[in-house]
Amino acid sequence: MAPVKRWVVVGLAGCAALALAYLPPRGATARDGSFFRTQAPWGTPARHRAQALADEWRGVDASLRLLRARRELQGLLRESNAGTSLVVVSESADVATVTSPIVDSAIHIAWRQLGLVETKVRVAVIIQLAVTSPVHDRPTIEEGVAAYLAPDSTDRTTCIAVLPAGTYWTRVFRGARANGQLPFDALVQTLKTGLGPCAFYATYGAPGRLVRGWLVARGWDLAMTLDVGARRAYRNSLIEMAEPRYPWYWEAIYSLPPTAVACLASRPDGCRAAVLAGAIDDPAIPFPDIVRIDRRWGRVPRLVEGQRFLGDVARAVGRDRFLSFWTTALSVDSALAATLKRPVGEWTAEWQSDFVRPIRLGPTPPLGGVAIALAIAALALALVAVSATRRQVR
Amino acid sequence: MVLLAIAALPASLLGQQRWEQQVQDRLARTVDALPATPTLPVVKRSGMLNIDEGASFQALLTVHVSYAIIAVCDDDCSRLQLTLLSPSGSEVAKERNSESLPTLHFTPETTARYVIRVVMEGCRWNPCWYAIAVVPLRKPPL
Repeated sequence: MAPVKRWVVVGLAGCAALALAYLPPRGATARDGSFFRTQAPWGTPARHRAQALADEWRGVDASLRLLRARRELQGLLRESNAGTSLVVVSESADVATVTSPIVDSAIHIAWRQLGLVETKVRVAVIIQLAVTSPVHDRPTIEEGVAAYLAPDSTDRTTCIAVLPAGTYWTRVFRGARANGQLPFDALVQTLKTGLGPCAFYATYGAPGRLVRGWLVARGWDLAMTLDVGARRAYRNSLIEMAEPRYPWYWEAIYSLPPTAVACLASRPDGCRAAVLAGAIDDPAIPFPDIVRIDRRWGRVPRLVEGQRFLGDVARAVGRDRFLSFWTTALSVDSALAATLKRPVGEWTAEWQSDFVRPIRLGPTPPLGGVAIALAIAALALALVAVSATRRQVR
Repeated sequence: MVLLAIAALPASLLGQQRWEQQVQDRLARTVDALPATPTLPVVKRSGMLNIDEGASFQALLTVHVSYAIIAVCDDDCSRLQLTLLSPSGSEVAKERNSESLPTLHFTPETTARYVIRVVMEGCRWNPCWYAIAVVPLRKPPL
């Protein structure tokens, strides 16, 4: 019977290898069309081209606005009182307007809630109000896309943030009330989030060259908000709302980059790769250093809830240890691991599981397919066994 | 290491008054403690640097006059390097062991424009403010 047993083992191993190679990954289903579409089905090449040009125009316009603000705000910052590290101005269609007292009050509360008083790096915020009448000679300002100018591109101690207020908040600032109530807390939260990289600059100063190069290369996606707040208080991506029972669950998961998917599965290597992407030994820092951050719901992140990653790291390790990381001369990987006192991948995998229950990855055969395959395999083995038994010489 | 040659901007433009004031007070106290000669002016410069950045400026040093070159920095700075370079660019003296209060003593053999370079080697919270003074010292009584 020894040769028969060997062939059984070889057969089973072959089946396992074929299954690994050919079975679809978990959650993959044959579908005619994608549930999520990155483009409108009616988009024509001309339309796409126009949208790309509009995006390019918006980017250049935001950069110009920041560079103009650098000059305009200098006088205002000089005149600001000692001990004031926050300046707020408003504009509408490139024309300076009076800043609403609600905005002024809300942003100063946001500033205090972040624990900021007098800081080495000041922050100048420009609130861009939405225009009431439609503008046809240029692309409209996109709500949720803010632009920032790093201090090294100003006087080295001022970070400038341009925050589009959007139609809703512009109406609120101009006196409209939703259900008669002023959503003041929501406004504070919005402005707090809107401070973005400038909040990091104000709290921890300018990062060291390696950390800064890493963040610049990634578009500051791991440090989009300093105010981390309670975990799961806000759901910032579709993944956090998805459950396996929904038909679009796996499609939402597989819309993420592979390293983010691996991190969702609590694989430390994937988490490490997702966090350390962009970290190099000799980064190039652009000048002027302008960052555009897209906070619109539905964007695909490199890491689920990645926008609060560094905020959570700072909260977990405390100010002194975070400052050591922030100004480090070590590589980002080593410095972050030293700060966390754990390998980056392990810490991140655990952090990630606070937002999304770890998923299981790997090939999964459909139940019916497994039953049929096992039945065929059992039949084949039985035939081989019977045939081998008959050929034996007793 | 990034070296920045910064222009001497007016203090009001250079940033937050608290840290600026801190280094100015510290520098004034240190200069007061030195036996400066009243006949020659004390040259002062101040600014701010992020960690590993440096700045340079020139100072005219007179032959046979003893100078004390001192640098101070704010509370977040832990190490400041001070270097004196000859007009040709070679290092004349370097001080990097005194952490946040490096001092150089030098008596030039010729009157010339020397270069003073400061490098922010340790700054916990960027940027760190620094101030430098070139103090001509009184000759000791014979």
